[in-house]
Amino acid sequence: MISDTDVARGVLLAQRARKSILEMTHRAQVSHVASALSVVDILAAIYARPSAPKNHTLNDLDREIVILSKGHSAAALYAVLSELDFFPRDWLAEYCNDSARLGGHVTSKDVPGVELSTGSLGHGLPYGLGVALSRKISNVMSPVVVVISDGECNEGTTWESALIANRFKLDNLIVVIDRNRIQSLDLTENTIPLEPLGEKWKSFGWQVSEIDGHSIAEIQLALETRNTCKVLIANTIKGKGVSFMENSVKWHYKPPTDQELELALLEVLGIED
Amino acid sequence: MQSLLAAAKSDPNIILITGDLGYGVIDQFAEELPKQFINSGISEQAMMGMAAGMASQGKRVFVYSIGNFPTLRCLEQIRNDVCAMNNSVVIVSVGAGYSYGSQGYTHHAIEDIAVMRSLPNLEILLPSDSEEVRVITEYLCSSRNPAYLRLGKDGEPLIHSPNSIKFDRSPYKVVDGDDCAILTAGSIANEAISAARNLTTKGIYTSIFLVPSIEGLTKAFLSELSSFSLLVSLEEHSPVGGLGSAILERLNSFGFSTRLELIAADQSDLSVVGSQAYLRDLKGISSKHVEARIEAILS
Repeated sequence: MISDTDVARGVLLAQRARKSILEMTHRAQVSHVASALSVVDILAAIYARPSAPKNHTLNDLDREIVILSKGHSAAALYAVLSELDFFPRDWLAEYCNDSARLGGHVTSKDVPGVELSTGSLGHGLPYGLGVALSRKISNVMSPVVVVISDGECNEGTTWESALIANRFKLDNLIVVIDRNRIQSLDLTENTIPLEPLGEKWKSFGWQVSEIDGHSIAEIQLALETRNTCKVLIANTIKGKGVSFMENSVKWHYKPPTDQELELALLEVLGIED
Repeated sequence: MQSLLAAAKSDPNIILITGDLGYGVIDQFAEELPKQFINSGISEQAMMGMAAGMASQGKRVFVYSIGNFPTLRCLEQIRNDVCAMNNSVVIVSVGAGYSYGSQGYTHHAIEDIAVMRSLPNLEILLPSDSEEVRVITEYLCSSRNPAYLRLGKDGEPLIHSPNSIKFDRSPYKVVDGDDCAILTAGSIANEAISAARNLTTKGIYTSIFLVPSIEGLTKAFLSELSSFSLLVSLEEHSPVGGLGSAILERLNSFGFSTRLELIAADQSDLSVVGSQAYLRDLKGISSKHVEARIEAILS
């Protein structure tokens, strides 16, 4: 059962992480701010649950495993993990610097809490599938949560994994799709149309739930139920929380200027009021 | 496969994944250890990522397929998910070189060593006969290093006497002679052995070293070879990046000036098919070519 406290904790975590994401991408002048803002509520919701991995459970063999497959939204994961004291907050200030621990795509090396380095799309789901299958064989019960982008539904490995997971009826693997409907150059539906996306997953034998990917409560509730081959299509807005970044292909690439950072922070902090 | 089965019986963490191949080879493993056997279907990329994920949970995962399918087809999964994450996966490819010669270029595994060798943390293992396969498999079952195991097809001649060798990465000297030394790996070694035998009748005495591990090409080993005026490398692989290339790199970096004659498969006509013996001859790596090239240099 999720509690109001878990939800409140998730909401606060997401707000703080949003602020960090804006500051990190501004300071480092790097891309993918909108991708991070799109997925950050999903990550905050996952990590604010009592069953989520904690900094003191990192070596537990039966810890829940969270994999962020859309490695370009690294800033969101780093921001959330540092809020939860997986590593010191001042690491964020070095994001993308020369020899920084935290690079522009998710890296696991020497970064506590990160299970898999990602950045090339379509890698997280097969890997998570292997973790789930291994746990099934060894009777380890805690689940594996893999967060993928909707763009990753272009990748063959996504559908290969969907087929294989169904073959093994995995009930310990949860896929969350950050469905912001924008990929690198255009809308997903103008690029390689994905709809009807839920029907596609259903036809592969998966239990599909569509949820609001910015509602901490809905995400946490959807993660609660244990189904075989569960996929959550989390409808999101790319750039969520900063009006001028929302639903724009441009902000897949553009880092905020000083003035844009100021405006963006006002909006994000305004939400906090 | 018998060595793997025996090890897997005593170690439940050993997992065998096949990419829907191995008819007649993997059946016994699948029957006796169904919980440790997975057929992931024809999906090499997901298979390799999945293998890495399983290895991250403490499994020792052997991934079995043929030719270029478990290497080139899923190269990035090997690079990112196995090697960079240092996950305990052994990639087993059956069908080295022209083992599947008649099946066409898609099935000719002649660039794999070069590509696999360029990856970090991946040990490259090149057994020449079933005795080497056995001792290397025993090592692989007890190790956790990511590895690439390049196999021929079953039924190739035995080079070592049964139970006569151990595996510690060092090359095996199987023929002794003072005039030159051939370094080779894989079942192509048999071509070197025939060439050496024929050269004896012409008064040229050749040593042959089988190189089961690229990592076994140490400075100590290569310095032993400095007494030879000529080294020859023979491989069933492209001349780019394979065994000969690895030897040249090391000779150079260790400061040895011994001449190396690199004999590898000519890649000018990709579409030609035929038996392994036919293609070895056509591509300039059969015993006849080895013999002629050594004779031309030494006489």
